[in-house]
Amino acid sequence: MQLNYLANLSHYVPELIVCLTMVMTMIVEATYENGEKSKPLMYWCSIVGLFCAFVVLCLSLNQPPTTAFFNAVVIDPFSTLMKIIMVLGTLGAIWLSHSSNDIYNPVKPEFIMLGLGVLVGGMLLASANNMLTLYLGIETLSILSYALASLRKNDERSSEAGLKYSLYGGISAGLMLFGMSHMFGVLGTIQFNGMAQNIANLTQNEILILIPSFLLFFVGIGYKIACVPFHMWSPDVYEGSPLPVTAFFSIVPKMAGIAVLLRITISFFSNDGVMQYSWLGLLQVIAALTMTVGNISAINQRSIKRMLAFSSIGHAGFMMLGAIVLGVDGVRSVLFYGIGYMFMTLAAFAITSFIQNKYGNDHFERFSGLIYRKPMMAIAMTIIMFSLAGIPPFSGFVAKFHILSAIIKQGYMTLAIIAAINSVISLYYYLKVVRLMVFKEKEDDGEIIGFSFVNQSVIVMLVIPVVVLGLFWAKIMAVADGAKLFIQ
Amino acid sequence: MHGSSNLLNWILWMPLIGAIGVLLLPKAKESAVRWWSLLNTAITFALTLVLYSKFDSNVPGMQEAFTVKIPWISQFNIFYSLGIDGISLPMILLTGLLFFLCILSSWTITKSIKGYFALMLMLQSTVFGVFLSLDFFLFYVYWEVMLIPMFFLIGIWGGENREYAAVKFFLYTFFGSILMLVGMVALYYATGQSAESFDILALSGGKFTELTVSMFGSTLPFAKIFFVFMFIGFAIKVPVFPFHTWLPHAHVQAPTAISVILAGVLLKMGTYGFLRIAFPIFPGAAVYFADAIAWLGLINIVYGALCAMAQTDVKKLVAYSSVSHMGFVMVGLAAMTTEGMNGAVLQMFNHGTSAAMLFLMVGVLYERSHHRWIVRPDGSKGFGGLYTQMPIFAIIFIISMFAAMGLPGLSGFISEALIFLGIYKKYTTITVISLVGLLLGAAYLLWMFKRMFFGEVIESCKSYTDMNNREILFMVPLCIAVIVFGVWPSPILNIMKASVGQLVSMLSKF
Repeated sequence: MQLNYLANLSHYVPELIVCLTMVMTMIVEATYENGEKSKPLMYWCSIVGLFCAFVVLCLSLNQPPTTAFFNAVVIDPFSTLMKIIMVLGTLGAIWLSHSSNDIYNPVKPEFIMLGLGVLVGGMLLASANNMLTLYLGIETLSILSYALASLRKNDERSSEAGLKYSLYGGISAGLMLFGMSHMFGVLGTIQFNGMAQNIANLTQNEILILIPSFLLFFVGIGYKIACVPFHMWSPDVYEGSPLPVTAFFSIVPKMAGIAVLLRITISFFSNDGVMQYSWLGLLQVIAALTMTVGNISAINQRSIKRMLAFSSIGHAGFMMLGAIVLGVDGVRSVLFYGIGYMFMTLAAFAITSFIQNKYGNDHFERFSGLIYRKPMMAIAMTIIMFSLAGIPPFSGFVAKFHILSAIIKQGYMTLAIIAAINSVISLYYYLKVVRLMVFKEKEDDGEIIGFSFVNQSVIVMLVIPVVVLGLFWAKIMAVADGAKLFIQ
Repeated sequence: MHGSSNLLNWILWMPLIGAIGVLLLPKAKESAVRWWSLLNTAITFALTLVLYSKFDSNVPGMQEAFTVKIPWISQFNIFYSLGIDGISLPMILLTGLLFFLCILSSWTITKSIKGYFALMLMLQSTVFGVFLSLDFFLFYVYWEVMLIPMFFLIGIWGGENREYAAVKFFLYTFFGSILMLVGMVALYYATGQSAESFDILALSGGKFTELTVSMFGSTLPFAKIFFVFMFIGFAIKVPVFPFHTWLPHAHVQAPTAISVILAGVLLKMGTYGFLRIAFPIFPGAAVYFADAIAWLGLINIVYGALCAMAQTDVKKLVAYSSVSHMGFVMVGLAAMTTEGMNGAVLQMFNHGTSAAMLFLMVGVLYERSHHRWIVRPDGSKGFGGLYTQMPIFAIIFIISMFAAMGLPGLSGFISEALIFLGIYKKYTTITVISLVGLLLGAAYLLWMFKRMFFGEVIESCKSYTDMNNREILFMVPLCIAVIVFGVWPSPILNIMKASVGQLVSMLSKF
């Protein structure tokens, strides 16, 4: 029995590496009295650790799906690819935190530890195979996120963000747990496969209980994805959190939430019936609302960070569409979307971060005339903005094309048109950034120190996939195509 | 593979090679950038002439000798597929010629020269892409990518209100094309994701008349609904009333060369879209909506002319005259008769040359005056007596004006006459009213000419010099074109005849 358990660990190497890295950073932090000394060491420690996790994940991408720990987690290509996205997102955010004044002035090494913790939670979520693991994952992710949001202890806004986040989080977790307990009551198991089997043969009364309990359950996931109407916390948290944390929040918890949503939807609602009808109906309405509200709210923002945060709500809505498709088409388009989105978000936040370091704020006007100061960065930002809006030949377009084609294939024409029109709305505010960077004269002659050669190279490296994936996406699409969901 | 099969590749990629070359040149070598771009567009234009000489005008469909088809993304059956027929060849020739002349007319640009010429060449490449693509996905990609250089060219080098114009242009066109994207994807699934799913030629022929689609809670006929989607996408580009409101802004704010490209080539992409995609793929719906298209075209003619008449800014006047002239193309298309269609395609070509001339002339004038008021806002004259002040300018202006007006002997007359012949039987009322539009066209142009060129030379005009050699040089080819094609249109008519005939006979079955 014990041996069996240990053998299971071999499937769990990436998570273990991340945990070990977290422990290492803690030790490093505790060893040095002086924060200045521990900082680089922690940074490199986490970079190396995450890189190892990334390599291991990539190597295990083609392995057959298995379950571990008495079916509590499932390791399938889908979860592995999701984990890769999350690990890369964390890697990017940690790199960003290294040069952002938001965190290190004064020194805030906690970001690395907490971020790694959130990542572990997210990875757990991506491969959750029963309700308990799912709940555990969500809570690990949430509790550490609360601390992350309030990382700038002396800043009122940051503390407010943390408090808001935890209040909302607590309530939604409670509701979710309430829903889960109803499910257990009706279905008699917390294992996904058992639940899915029992859902197939329910009486009318049981369905009547189960529908509201799934609604409650959705509150928990919806809160993590920040979809309308559970998105109210996100603008304040995104605004109040330090910039690298915002970048982190718009990738890791979001992708984890999307991963759970996909798994739940495909496991439980693949069979026709009242349950499927109501769940998909709910998702359709919420996805449409999320896109629209996110994009419309983004229009009037003054700060780029807030604009990106709202637009990430819009993108989450777009990715939710992939869940509605209930099949391979949806899964692979969401994965492709996620990969591109991760690169674009990181690069956009990175550029914003260096601008913010220079001026102390990240209002749109600060980008004025960037093309005359840092042409490479302005071009990179332009590419990202066009890509986020879904203009070819960039990856954002291909991602939107796939999502659209997946939902059109299922016949959701109205939804497709709503999604398409949302792209147009989003183009308006993305163009605002481009317009300022390229058409306006620069505000002053000061040098933007953050754009060192190394940082610029990293940003360019983040932008290259955005272009390449827009032109030659067959390879990555094949990988995403192979990343099938495994329901055991 | 035939020997000439790479010709289309060369035409498509040559400008991009040029753009990369521009970017590699050092910033200080401004004249090198100009000469390099000129050389590049000259080579491209020469290549289009080679294409013209090798073109077999008896073949109605795509010319086998030039076709290129390579898998791009085989999972989705997306091909890098290029081809040429009698409808696209005039557009290719026009693009090659106009970009060459525009580079010549951009000699006086001083702001970020490298960026300007690189974007210009990129734009040319994407325009070729639109006219050459035979794969719907490829077409869409080029159609969209084209917006990016255009956005920057208007936004950086434009007039005072350039930002607003650039954003409006971008958003409008993007709105239209995203609807087209939905239609494209729907077509992909309607054909069962087969190897023909994005193949424009394989899609055409009215295969979707029986299908339905459920949208907004009701069941609608597939062909009609997606025809409307694509119609909006293309109509914004043309622009068809009521989607035309971006055009005056974009035209007025854009620098001269970009206005020329916009009027000369980009507007034709809209009507080309009808000819290549919307009509062949949904012939039934096209016939169904023909009356509506004809009436919209008529509104374009009359409304554009009336708007032009009311303008006090000469560039805006020319911009509205484009709206009016594209209306003739739309009416010609709607007729779906041999004469009407041929007239429409010929009008696309002729308007390309005549509108380009007018915009170039306005640009020449603007470089001297730095304003474009026919009548200034305070009521005083903006220009006066230009005829005595700048005689060569005046003569070339007269040629361009008469070409645009459709005076017999100049190119505009032939195409408009063909269009009227084509529509008369089917739409007698529209023919009569659009003849009034023609009259209005003559009225606003002549009135403008009277106000600007006749009378006393006003004080501010006395310093204007006449056209210099470079300016004469880029006007002469266009003057020759409008005069030669005015008396002898067969070189252009012959190449399009077979392809247009095929389209008309296909449409007549519905």
